This record gives sequence, C-alpha cells and structure tokens, in this order.
Amino acid sequence: MSENLKANFEKYALLSYHHIPEVHKIDIYESAGGYVSMHKAFKMGPDKIKEEVKESGLRGRGGAGFPCGTKWGFFSKDRKQKKYLLCNADESEPGTFKDRYLVEKNPHILIEGMIISAFALGVDKAYIYIRGEFYQQAKILENAIEEAYAKKYLGKNILGSDFDLDITVHRGAGAYICGEETGMISSLEGKKGQPKLKPPFPAIKGYRGLPTMVNNVETLSAVPWIVNFGGKSYRQWGTEKSPGTKLFSISGDVFRPGVIEVPLGISLKEIIDNHCHGVSGSRILKAVIPGGSSAPILTAEEAMEVTMDYEAIAAKGSMLGSGAIIVLNSTRNIGEILKWTLEFYHHESCGQCTPCREGTGWLDSILKRKLFHKSKLDDVDLMDQVASNMRGTTICALSDAAAMPTQGIIKKFRKELETYISTQGNN
Amino acid sequence: MKSAEKFEYSAENKKKYDHLLTRYDDVESALLPALHLAQDQNGYISESVMKYLSELMNIPVVKISEVVSFYDMFYNHPVGKNIIQVCTNITCSMFGGRELFQDLCRQFGAGQLKPVNNNKYMFQKMECLGACEQAPCMRVNNDYHGKLNLDEAIRIIKELD
Repeated sequence: MSENLKANFEKYALLSYHHIPEVHKIDIYESAGGYVSMHKAFKMGPDKIKEEVKESGLRGRGGAGFPCGTKWGFFSKDRKQKKYLLCNADESEPGTFKDRYLVEKNPHILIEGMIISAFALGVDKAYIYIRGEFYQQAKILENAIEEAYAKKYLGKNILGSDFDLDITVHRGAGAYICGEETGMISSLEGKKGQPKLKPPFPAIKGYRGLPTMVNNVETLSAVPWIVNFGGKSYRQWGTEKSPGTKLFSISGDVFRPGVIEVPLGISLKEIIDNHCHGVSGSRILKAVIPGGSSAPILTAEEAMEVTMDYEAIAAKGSMLGSGAIIVLNSTRNIGEILKWTLEFYHHESCGQCTPCREGTGWLDSILKRKLFHKSKLDDVDLMDQVASNMRGTTICALSDAAAMPTQGIIKKFRKELETYISTQGNN
Repeated sequence: MKSAEKFEYSAENKKKYDHLLTRYDDVESALLPALHLAQDQNGYISESVMKYLSELMNIPVVKISEVVSFYDMFYNHPVGKNIIQVCTNITCSMFGGRELFQDLCRQFGAGQLKPVNNNKYMFQKMECLGACEQAPCMRVNNDYHGKLNLDEAIRIIKELD
C-alpha cells in the first residue's frame, strides 16, 4: 500500500489520517493504522492506559485545559458501578470549528478514543452530545458507530473480553450553554440546558446523579495516539506544562482560514504568517481574539509576541480556550466586535442566575443605546462596573465569558470604544 | 401543515422512537431526540405534539413546553418548508453575515422566524454555526453553504423545492 494511504503519526496525533480519501469508512481507517491502539489498549489493561494518559500531560481541549489524567483520577474505580462517558461535541464557542473538521472527515478516531477511554474508566454506556446544527456530522458519526458495531468493536464482549460498550449520538437543539458540562448533562436528561452547581463535579455526580466523565472530542481523539506511542512520546510536542499538539480554528482576516494541528507553544505569529498566509484585507494586524469569543482580546503587539500555550496566553491576561483564533485587521471597528459579542451572550444566557441574565442584557443594551442617541460619556465605565459585578457570581462561567472580553476591550481599546459610543446613531 | 390535527408518530417514527428508548436508561433522556423526530414529521412542535409526547413519555406538557421554548432549533409555531439560518456571530458579521440576513429578508419579504411565500421559506438569524472559516455562512435545512454573497444565497434558496 502506498505511503499516503497510511496515517502520518510522526507529524500529527489528531489529523494523522486527514489526507486519506474516504477515511470515514472503517476498512480504510483500519488499513491506514486505525484501531491498532484499541487492540493494544485491551492488552495493556485499564490501569496502564490511565497511567499513559496521565504521563502524557494531555489537558482538556474543550477550553478549561484541566489535565485529563487527573480528571480521570477523580472517577470512581469501581468497575461494577453504573457510570457514563459523555463526549462534548457541542462546539459552540464562537470561532471554534475544529471538532467538526476532525469528525466529519474521521469519525473513527473519536470512536476509537472513546472505546479505549470507556474501557480504561470502566464505563459501558457513552454518549456523544453534538450540537443540533451539525446534523450531517451526527449522521457521519452514527454511520461510523454502526460500522464499529458490525466489527464487534462496540456492543457485548468487545474483542472477546467481558467489556461491553454502547455509544449513542445525542443531538442538541441550538443552545450555547449546552457546551458547559453540567448544562450538557441537564440537556441530556431531557431538560432545559441549565448548568448545575459544582461541586459535586460530574465525575462524582453527573448524568442521572451518577459519575459521568465529560471529555471534549479533541481530548478523546488524542487517546489512541497516546496509547499507541506512549505518554512520554506525546511530550515530544509542546511545552513542559502544555504538552502535545492542539487543533486551532483560525478565522477572520487571514488569507487561509481553517483548522491546523500544531504543537502547543508555537508562536501566534507563525500561525498567522505561515499557516494562514498572513493578514488579509489591509494587511495590517489590529488585534486577535486568541481562544474563542470568551477570551479577552490581544493587541497586535501582544499577538506578535505570544506563544500558543495555556500559560503564555494566561500571562497576557487572556486564555487559550478552545483554540479559536479570530484575526482582526486594521479596518475592523472594535465597538462592532464587542456589540456582536455581547448580543451573543445576551441571547445565550440561560436565565438562571441574576448577575448573568441581567448583566448580559445590560451590557448589550448599554452598547446599543447609541442607536437611539441615548449614549452617555461614562457608558464605558458603567459597562466596566456591570462586567465586574458579573465575575465569579454565577453557577457557570457564561457570565464571566461575557464580562472578560468586555473588560479586555475596555482595557486595551478604551479610546476607540469611547469614540464608538459617542458616535451616536448607526454608523 | 397538519398543525390543528391530532398528532401521532407515523408507524416508521414510532419504531424509531421505540429504538431510541433502548439507548437511554430513562425515558426523560429521550426527550430531545423524540422532539427532533416529531418536528421532522410535523414541521414544528404544536400543542398536539406536546400532548402526544406527554402521554407517550409520561412527562408533563409544561415541562415539554419549557424545553421546546429553551432551544433555538425547536419551533412552537408553524414554520416554512425550508428553514434558512444565517450566522451573525463575530466572524460571519465581519464578512457581511448581518447584511446578508437583512438583504435576504428584504428580498423575500420575510422577517425573523416568519414563514413567507406560501410557507415555502422561513429565515432565522443564528448565533455561531461553527463554520467560521466559511464566513459568511448559511445553513439551509440540514446543509451548510459558505463564503456567500447575496446573489449566491438567493440562487441556493430559489433552487429549493
């Protein structure tokens, strides 16, 4: 078989199979090197798998960046206890489209990752919660799951062991908040997707009150590579504290937007200039939103010196989040960017906690009152104050996710925002 | 549109519903998929759909109604045969997503969630659709179309049955 029909494990842990035509079909995935890790994992046994994942330093790729091995360590070790694995494929953070890109081409890498993870965790029922808009991607996953059942990689007594696993694709129905793990659990339970107080954390008390491990698509899809080549090898990529590769979704003012897989710690400059062929439009960089719409904005100067790992971005007062990079050129109006951001959070607040329900509404309304010639000079201070009162006062992080970019823009682009607000009417 | 009529799953959908129940450890968890199935059949979640699911699943109507009103993709009012969703989040707005939505509404004499053209079309302004690399993007029924201008969007919509 020609080399280009084999997975490229040297360069990629996640997009290793993306160059292979029709790799969504199980036979093609397998002949390219797929499901080898699953066989290996069943020989290794649960403890050794967990050790490798811990050793790899893999961090949760949904946004929080919590070490996966540690999270798995909190999970009940009683293999007889009823518990669940919930794959977060809600991908609703604005700017993010990496999970879609990964699974629509290669659904089996996720399924293989889930089989291995469920085996390690002693779970016999798993769900993939995918956002409702991704109808075609849900179908792709369902077909792939059917193929895996036909091969007896799912169902009863997998690979002749006493391990059983069922995976079901569960479609959401259009609600950002269902990407938050406890909101997702509420939604899976057939309720409004309203988050629940933590603790107890889902790993202790989650879906239906039972231990539930919630992991992102990208996190689970990294597991087969780690099992295949070892946790230590995974650290060939990335930094000491942010090991491995990461998918980045890049959109906005670049010549070539899309998804890339690169080692963590790569410079943002290299991503924009080399991978995305530079800033488009005016060709002059103004700012970058580095980790989805919740991440505070970086000025061009900050963006040109930051490296893309959890620590380096945090040191700039922002966050890596889901790895969604939105590039803004010099023609972009920062007030408009904030307006679109705030309209989103206002629409998506679940309404449960007062600071968020009221705060997102007020931030949105204050910024929009210029449309009615009602802006006041101190509106920027008022927004800053409202945002401050929203921080850390609610059940989930949506409130903070609205407040952080607001305060980020106020801090870094105050003058421009004041000009925007004081230009009454719709400009 | 069979809105006023009494709703029940078609034989095929009842079979799908029964299969759904085998995938979950309780009936409530099957509510979202059961609603998707009902909406596919009926176009929207009418009162008779809620009543039917309430009896079938033993969930109070008020709880189903609460769920339906929470999610953007469940409709508790009649919809157009084709649902056209335009993303107006950050990246799509940078590339004219908002103007695209407004221009399409103007072109078809439509407004947010108001079926037009003998219920052939319904337009919906959406938050991030998760396809920012294709900005501005539009979702027509279950398919994505990206990097659109107004003319292309109109052409795609006019080709719909």
